[in-house]
Amino acid sequence: MNKGKFLAGLDAGHVNTKAVIMREQEILGYCTVPTGFDVVAAAQTALNDASDNAGISRGELGGIVATGIFNDMIKVPPLNATGTVPEYMADAKGALFLNKNSRTVIDVGGNIHKAVCYDQKGDLVDVVQNDKCADGLGIFYTTMAKALGLSEQEMTELALKSTKNLSIAIQCALSAESDAIDLMCQGTDIADVADAVSKFIAERVADMCTYMSLTKEIVVAGGLAKSQAIVKHLQSLIRQDVSVLTHPEYVGAIGAVIGYGGVK
Amino acid sequence: MKKSSEAIIEEFRHITENTHEYAKSLQGKGRLLAGYMCTHVPEEILYAAGIIPVRILSAHESQAMTRSYIHETYCTFSHDCAYQGLQHNYDYLDLIVHSSSCIHMGEAFNVWVRFAGFQHKSFLITYPHIIHTKHASEIMVESYGEFKQFIEEFAKKSITDDDIERAIKVYNQTRRLLKRLWEFLRRGNPPVAGREVAAVTLAAQVMDKQECNQMLEQLIQRLEAEPGKEPSGVRLMVTGGACDDMRIFDLIENLNYSTNLIFTDSCTAARYFWFEVPEDRPDKLEAIAEGYISRIPCPAKDNVPGTGEKKRFRFIRQFIEDYKPDGVVFVYQRFCSPQSMDIVALKPILDMLGIPWTELELDTTVPISLFGTQLEALVEIIKRVAP
Amino acid sequence: MSEYASINEQLDWKKAEVIAAGVDSGAVSSKAVILLDGQPYAFSQIRTRMPKESAFSAINGALAKTDLELKNIHYLVATGRGRTQVPFARETISEIACGAAGAVRIWGPSVRTVLDAGGESCKVIHCTEKGRATAFLWNDKCAAGIGRYMETFADLVQKEVHEIGNIALQSEQFPKLSDFCAVYAQSEALDSIRSEVPLEQVIAAYHYAMAKRISTLVARSGLKKDFVIIGGLAKNPGIIDWLESILNVSRLATKPEWDPTLTVALGAALFADTFYRRT
Repeated sequence: MNKGKFLAGLDAGHVNTKAVIMREQEILGYCTVPTGFDVVAAAQTALNDASDNAGISRGELGGIVATGIFNDMIKVPPLNATGTVPEYMADAKGALFLNKNSRTVIDVGGNIHKAVCYDQKGDLVDVVQNDKCADGLGIFYTTMAKALGLSEQEMTELALKSTKNLSIAIQCALSAESDAIDLMCQGTDIADVADAVSKFIAERVADMCTYMSLTKEIVVAGGLAKSQAIVKHLQSLIRQDVSVLTHPEYVGAIGAVIGYGGVK
Repeated sequence: MKKSSEAIIEEFRHITENTHEYAKSLQGKGRLLAGYMCTHVPEEILYAAGIIPVRILSAHESQAMTRSYIHETYCTFSHDCAYQGLQHNYDYLDLIVHSSSCIHMGEAFNVWVRFAGFQHKSFLITYPHIIHTKHASEIMVESYGEFKQFIEEFAKKSITDDDIERAIKVYNQTRRLLKRLWEFLRRGNPPVAGREVAAVTLAAQVMDKQECNQMLEQLIQRLEAEPGKEPSGVRLMVTGGACDDMRIFDLIENLNYSTNLIFTDSCTAARYFWFEVPEDRPDKLEAIAEGYISRIPCPAKDNVPGTGEKKRFRFIRQFIEDYKPDGVVFVYQRFCSPQSMDIVALKPILDMLGIPWTELELDTTVPISLFGTQLEALVEIIKRVAP
Repeated sequence: MSEYASINEQLDWKKAEVIAAGVDSGAVSSKAVILLDGQPYAFSQIRTRMPKESAFSAINGALAKTDLELKNIHYLVATGRGRTQVPFARETISEIACGAAGAVRIWGPSVRTVLDAGGESCKVIHCTEKGRATAFLWNDKCAAGIGRYMETFADLVQKEVHEIGNIALQSEQFPKLSDFCAVYAQSEALDSIRSEVPLEQVIAAYHYAMAKRISTLVARSGLKKDFVIIGGLAKNPGIIDWLESILNVSRLATKPEWDPTLTVALGAALFADTFYRRT
């Protein structure tokens, strides 16, 4: 097997580090690992596990392309990334690769969310990122799932069953949590609480989207895109159709490989 | 058939829950409508021109649109009012009038003017921030003169002194009637509940005052004939900022203990009507200015130059003396600086008077278990509950 | 947060005149305390999921260690945010009154100021020597969730929540994080990690910021000695030490026989005891 053909994309974020193994246009394996404190260790684990999933050994990798907020820690030994791609570009290239008709990606991650508009080549047209008060939506979602005693999958399934459309304060995760707890203490059905939490997240993301014109087609990426309840609310709030990319949390890692020019 | 007091109160409450429907019915009768956000607007001048002032209220639902228009850390009330405009919920208004109050509401007004289609149907009245001086009155009279001129052009009719005097008398009648209504709550067991009086007062702010006066007169007549029915519980007085969410007042009277809401000092309650405009004066605009300056001041306007005294506090002390609350509930919007600063100064006064208090921080929704706990804790302190 | 249940095996409930219990339905944990003639007999603490179901789990957890049944309890008082969701409670009392009562019972009549630093909220309670609450200040919304966020923060840095308090004390120097808001502080902490600040320093910085936030609540409310701290954060030495240092006050030390998180449930049980005796 030609050694140079396997490339790893690595997206080290605040909460999770994502690795993807690609050869040309094919995604062979991927893995997500909590970033924790030791980014390099997380990256190593992610790369090792992704390589295993791809059925190759680490040694067969032609190179690592890094993106994400911690990419500067990956450039240096021991990881020695071949190159780095800025996050916005990685998002654009990755989203375009996964959906050729897309022109806007809304990436809802662990701590940060952003929206990127791009052209048919995946070159940047416009970008917007959340304001500081809306940090930590992904972290908040995980915390609330734990508080409700649910897995994230259960959270979204329950949320979709709610018909109440309850409001909770949307200023930030703290206010939302405070109100969500209050609902629980009033004896509100857990499905309605799960839905209110999902709607809060969607509202903050939608709020960010009001700062920029979104070009069709709009796709959603990032860990929270896996919640159908959040996506449903988002679509209704921005009043435009959205679709969720396959491998939504790997868009950055995939885009790093594509953006680096590793795939001709 | 004579309507019962409950039926009349229900009519008022229905209006607060269906403000757009009510407003449109007035338009249906050929009336012009002017929206206003803060109570510094001299409604009499509008009324004199045949325009009905309608207060803009918030919807208490979370919304995701206003943060690109108004800063994150502006109060929810301002965000919500701005949102109502952006959502075109008030498009039917013929005019929106604002009188400079605080920066948060000022921005909400700006949103309506610049982004919600009210550019050509809006007017901003200059209202000084330091009102406790002679110059304030002069500025206001001049400002009101400009406003009157604008309204005359807008309504295409001239406003005579008689028109204004008539409006002053109608509005003063509303004020007296509302005062009379709240005064029922001074009694040990009143014929009406505080939460009901709060709802009636809110309705008055969106109604045609003549119609409102008729209903108020009927209601007060019924209540005067009725025996006290509300049980005597712990007497709680509310003081603070704009609060148009009746669920808070419902909660105050629906705790695990018997409680009575006996007074509310806020711009959606007593500060709206607890004054009169001098009648039968030769200079009508001067009379209106004098009346509006004599009101219980909004904290954003309450600063006596040189001494830094707060005139609002005198009123609050008088209300405490007259209404004899067992406890005080501070109610204010999160991020409202003027209210918070007043509260800092009011707490030592209450401590000195030996009156326990608690603070409820208003946001989009009413966190019933949180507010309920704080209120019940306050009642337990008042009742000296201990094992 | 550790879940547990235990009993004082030296007592025999069958010989007790008054069996009183308190359940504290908190946002993060639910606690139950059972008293026999005013003496602590059984307690438990479990994670709160839905308040009603967790209240049952808490009381059953305490009962499970004994052969006592719920129906043998003469009087039960529920407190905490979820107290209206406890169907088997005879009466409810706010956690303010219960916190005051419990604190004086544990630490004695010298207590005048109680800081309840719990999972979802912080409150400062002023009380008399008899444990009657006279005033309180509840945190504003911007200071909500400090307790729970400590757990979230521990997860993010991949430590146990009971470890990070001690780790926080290991550094004398650390960066400054926003001390107004836990969302900002957490975000800035994560960014500090990116800037390769050592983990111990990031943990110390976060604790200092949160202690500062809580201290402003205490300062606004006023502090009269003796001062005690109850609730989950009372067991976090990072928060406590910094709080004492910022406020320049020493709290009374935790009593070995009383987990400070049980103080409010104890207060509820004391109320139950009194209410039963009055009937």
